[in-house]
Amino acid sequence: MKRALLFFDNLGSSVMRTVEEAGSVLLMFIDVLKWMVKPPLKLDLIIKQMEFVGVKSLFVVVLTGTFTGMVMALQGYYGFRMFNAESMVGSTVALGITRELGPVLTAIMVTARAGSAMAAELGTMRVTEQIDAYYVMSANPVKYLIVPRIVAAVLMLPLLTIVADFVGILGGYFVGVPILHINAGAFMKNIVTIVSLDDIYNGLIKSAFFGLILSVAGCYKGFTMTGGAEGVGKATTEAVVLASVSILVCDYFLTAIMF
Amino acid sequence: MVSISTQAKVGLFVLAALILLAYMSFRVGQYGFGLKNGYLISAEFENATGLERDASVRIAGVEVGRVENITLTDGKARVSMRILPSVKLADDVKVMVRAYGILGDKFIEIIPGTKGRPTLEEGGEITRVEKQIDIDQLVRNLTNIADDVLAVTASLRKVLGGEEGAANLEGILTNTRELTANLNRVVKENDEDLKTMMTHLAQASKDLEKTFIALRQISEEINRGEGTMGQLVKKREIYDNLNETLASLREITDKINAGKGTIGRLINDEKTVDALDTSLASLDKSMEGLNKYLLKTEEFRTFLSYRGEYLFDSQNSKGYFEVKIRPKEDKFYIVGLVADPRGKRSISERTVDGVTSHIEEWDKNKLLFNAEIGKRFRNLVLRGGLLESTGGIGLDYFALNDNLRLSFEAFDFDPDRRPHLKVFADYELLKHVSMTAGYDNFISDEGNESPFVGVSIFFEDDDFKYLIGNTPIPK
Repeated sequence: MKRALLFFDNLGSSVMRTVEEAGSVLLMFIDVLKWMVKPPLKLDLIIKQMEFVGVKSLFVVVLTGTFTGMVMALQGYYGFRMFNAESMVGSTVALGITRELGPVLTAIMVTARAGSAMAAELGTMRVTEQIDAYYVMSANPVKYLIVPRIVAAVLMLPLLTIVADFVGILGGYFVGVPILHINAGAFMKNIVTIVSLDDIYNGLIKSAFFGLILSVAGCYKGFTMTGGAEGVGKATTEAVVLASVSILVCDYFLTAIMF
Repeated sequence: MVSISTQAKVGLFVLAALILLAYMSFRVGQYGFGLKNGYLISAEFENATGLERDASVRIAGVEVGRVENITLTDGKARVSMRILPSVKLADDVKVMVRAYGILGDKFIEIIPGTKGRPTLEEGGEITRVEKQIDIDQLVRNLTNIADDVLAVTASLRKVLGGEEGAANLEGILTNTRELTANLNRVVKENDEDLKTMMTHLAQASKDLEKTFIALRQISEEINRGEGTMGQLVKKREIYDNLNETLASLREITDKINAGKGTIGRLINDEKTVDALDTSLASLDKSMEGLNKYLLKTEEFRTFLSYRGEYLFDSQNSKGYFEVKIRPKEDKFYIVGLVADPRGKRSISERTVDGVTSHIEEWDKNKLLFNAEIGKRFRNLVLRGGLLESTGGIGLDYFALNDNLRLSFEAFDFDPDRRPHLKVFADYELLKHVSMTAGYDNFISDEGNESPFVGVSIFFEDDDFKYLIGNTPIPK
């Protein structure tokens, strides 16, 4: 009897914790929106974060994008070869990259690189009471610490996705045309006829959402962490897991709405 | 080293990414740009299955627009298309829904109209809509065809299947092989003669044409009652005289046929052939002069054909080798050899003790001859002359672009028996091969009537020339 009650106790408390957490994320998000429109806008801070989230993630995004495109071309080739439709590899790669893999993989990579860093940074600041210092100085830490990160992520993710799209298709082309000897003209023609502008733009809209998700998750976990140095590590891990899962779940719903 | 500021790095990155976006948008959306200024036209289709928005509109395979919208009006699909402003469509263009391959996407094909007609403007409508053949319909048609083919093959199996049929076929093939071998020999031996003969025949035909013109003039005169002949024709007594003359002529020809008299002997004698050979040779020489005079040999065409026929009832096969010379589109001559398994018939009359007996002999080694002259009136061909070494006429009707020939032949008008009538249909299966089927000698009173099937192989002018061109011709 007591055991059964304990089970319900656990279940109830975990549900409540989740709902509470969702609520406080939302509250923080509202706070961010409020501070975002309140001048003065801290442009130098935003640019610094843009460099961190965008420019410094470029290399890893290019690397993932290229190899994803290459492997898609290779796999697609084995499939399409059965129907003598090798030239469709190009459009498959392009469509897959622009719609799905470009935005998602970029977001996951940026989560791993920048989202985790956000959580760790803010967590450390929390532990070393730097955030409290902001309050002491009557400056709002949300405005100085969180808003620039979120704005930067929302702006940078689509840009990184563009790069990922491009190098992904390029990677597919280099595997498809010189290595697998697919007709270059047919390869490009299929990309141009089958991929539409909407495919690219919807991918970019998705990636902006992903930017929002990963930066909010990173900032929230870092900002609200507790428990010293150990807590920093825990917050970082949680931020990455939360962001990654949310990105994939949201990806489904965004895709369902947009396409 | 120049240090790059954070701002510059971000700026560069943003610029680079935007350039890439612009590039990709341009490549992918390339088409959309020009099309935005395009004009809208529409057409009503009975069935627009598989057609989607943004499906391409093509002329001769080149994309000139996209489908903008598909709506239902009065049970028909109204498709509006946006066409590139640079493409002008005449108001009598035709449209149809087509597919890339059997399973491919659908698109709209526009077949260009007449140049110089007024062009379609914004909101214009294409009224000439071609019906779309969908796969279902096609399959249904094919099924019907397959049923027909099945019926044909079934009846063919009845005819040709079984041991008897196989044996028959084998017989045909053996016969054909022997015949071709014989023919080959004949052609080789007479190669040169044939060639010269044909050239000369061509010349002769030219002359004949002139003669015909002259004859027509004469006949016109006669019709009008001018000149001696005209008078002759108009008078009754002369007509009676002519009738008598013809009757006596008939007697004479009968005698000739029977081998009586000088001419009769001449024709039925082996020596005649030799004599004819020599006379032909001299004819060759005399025509040589004509040859130079009328040097327009390229105009006429020659056809070589070999036809093997298998007669079901008598289980015999017959072979025809023919050279057809066609100096003009509507005129031809046929010279041919016929190998009848029964051979050549000859009748000799012997009178012993006042009793006359006819002896009919068949010489199996002798070939029969065809020599015909023919004229074509549209789809109808009238021909006449020697058919299987007897006088006769033929009538051909051509159909299906000349691929099908329906023929009727009547020859061997012997007073003792019914004439030899023959009907058959000849269908050109391949470029040089055709199939024949028909009924031979169908009113025969000697039990020779038989259905038959046959195969013929024929070569046209160029092929023939090529074959002959391989053997040098001495000048």
